[in-house]
Amino acid sequence: MSVCEQTDKADLLQLFTAKFNSRLLVGTALYPSPAIMRASIKASGAQIITLSLRRQNPQQQQGKVLWDYIRQSGCQLLPNTAGCKTPKEAIALAEMSREIFATDWLKLEIIGDDYNLQPDPYGLVEAARELVQRGFKVLPYCTDDLVICRRLLDVGCEVLMPWGAPIGTGQGLLNKYNLQTLRERLPAKVPLIIDAGIGAPSQAMEAMEMGFDAILLNTAIAKAQNPVLMAQAFKQAVEAGRNARRAGLMVKRKNASPSTPTLDMPFWHQQSS
Amino acid sequence: MQNSATPQIAIAGGGLVGRLLAWRLSLHGLQVSLYEAASLSIPSGACWTAAGMISPQSELVHGQAEIYQQGLRSLSLWPQWVAALQAQTGRSVAFRCNGSLVLAHPQDSSELSQFHQELSAKLTAMAIETSQRPVSHLDRAAILQLEPALDWFDRGLLLPDEADIDNRLLLPALLQALRQQNVKLHEQTPVNCASRQILNASGCEHFDCVIDCRGLGAQKQINGLRGVRGEVMVVETSEVSLQRPIRLLHPRYQLYAVPRSSNQVIIGATEIESDDMSPISLRSSMELSSALYSLHPAFAEARIVETRVNCRPATMDNLPLIENTPGLLRVNGLYRHGYLLAPALVEQVERFIEQQVT
Repeated sequence: MSVCEQTDKADLLQLFTAKFNSRLLVGTALYPSPAIMRASIKASGAQIITLSLRRQNPQQQQGKVLWDYIRQSGCQLLPNTAGCKTPKEAIALAEMSREIFATDWLKLEIIGDDYNLQPDPYGLVEAARELVQRGFKVLPYCTDDLVICRRLLDVGCEVLMPWGAPIGTGQGLLNKYNLQTLRERLPAKVPLIIDAGIGAPSQAMEAMEMGFDAILLNTAIAKAQNPVLMAQAFKQAVEAGRNARRAGLMVKRKNASPSTPTLDMPFWHQQSS
Repeated sequence: MQNSATPQIAIAGGGLVGRLLAWRLSLHGLQVSLYEAASLSIPSGACWTAAGMISPQSELVHGQAEIYQQGLRSLSLWPQWVAALQAQTGRSVAFRCNGSLVLAHPQDSSELSQFHQELSAKLTAMAIETSQRPVSHLDRAAILQLEPALDWFDRGLLLPDEADIDNRLLLPALLQALRQQNVKLHEQTPVNCASRQILNASGCEHFDCVIDCRGLGAQKQINGLRGVRGEVMVVETSEVSLQRPIRLLHPRYQLYAVPRSSNQVIIGATEIESDDMSPISLRSSMELSSALYSLHPAFAEARIVETRVNCRPATMDNLPLIENTPGLLRVNGLYRHGYLLAPALVEQVERFIEQQVT
């Protein structure tokens, strides 16, 4: 394959059997208004959006006006179990979400600590096993621990979503060594999505350069002073990071090597420099 | 259309906007009929649930410039309107212009920086002329001087020109004024609105102009109008005395505490995207009470005297809606900004009515 062909070839994100042009997934919470949320989703180019039912008394369908409004974006919906603390709660909410949103996709989130909203790895594996058996397409929000990630794959998860940093902190990629290990040691066919902790486009770009397949974020866009513009910035960063990864980053070197030849420089200058 | 010389105006919805409009228009000499689906003495809408804050700057941090601008206009109208209403009815509505205080615990002080940064950036971006005094940074001593009870905070912000009003005094005072001005009051009378017509179970009545301010009652007529659930608690203690509305910033829970007469404090408010009027949830009550407890430990022994739940009528852009068509005006979607926006919106509607009936 020529270089040109490689550049032109569609570079799609495949999750389960579905394929997506966009490698940016966004949330639907915390925006100044639903209208700004929808404009931001559009500007982000996202084709997958996550949303939560937790506090909306879903049995009564009382958030329906807003859900319909979100649905009109035409994106793949990824209901989440935000706020659930036990597998039982998460499974019940997952079933309700599947029914209301008519999708078996699920961002599985089980919170183990109230202050930093850290995922509970034990509950996560337990719930993932049950939900995969019930036919859900489970995207677990997990820490960057290699062994936990393997256990999640063992119980049937096909996609993993390790954190960059705790939810809403905007700290970026806190443990790059762990994240690099995940990318290197887990099978290349397993899509890895950095979920949570991304505060700036540069952080999203770095994760993409490291070889992660996609980025999921909410707060950094929703809480920006101009969410629509920030959504566009993240779109560009994720695309740039992905392109950089595909293009092949150069390896860092100790010695400077001029990008233009220095033939006109006298040899004694070259030696002393 | 009526043939009488005095223009006949019908207002559907006896909440804050409906009452203010009925009061203002009848002061201008129009004959006003006010229709309310429930009771006028105990309003069913969000206006009765709210804490009555008039805080354009605090709301600007997470809100939009339009809200701020209309909020400033309201803030300048309230004092005159309150003075007129109090003089007319002989009742106080406890309008207070003590500013509001924004606080965060030391471990959450980045929230305070973020709040100040966002507010400054938005004010700079709008670059509008305002007589509002700037936000001032407070240290421990300055906080204690304003609020002697709050001995736990090292940093805070004072928004000096923000105000609040006791809605549970204001709404009954407005009702009394409407009676004094011979507004025709129809309680327990659900209606529908059309151009120059009020439709109800007993048929159709004709007017020169109809104003629909039914809030969520107009949901079927206004596309995209939704309810945003809010939960509020009222606590009572003589151990902590506050002088002004306090906002406590926290990474996840936001609390306001608005002191009222008889040692009561209103604390709120949750914001849940759901048209759900069921009673307050255990989780919300725990979040609100623990945030209040962290403001001052003596609140632990405060008595919970009331919990309130309602849904705020909101449009998809969370901005207020005024529709002006011949013979029919609609005002809706004041969302969480009822007391902040109502006078500015009412003033606009007064102008539209003037154009329509003269």
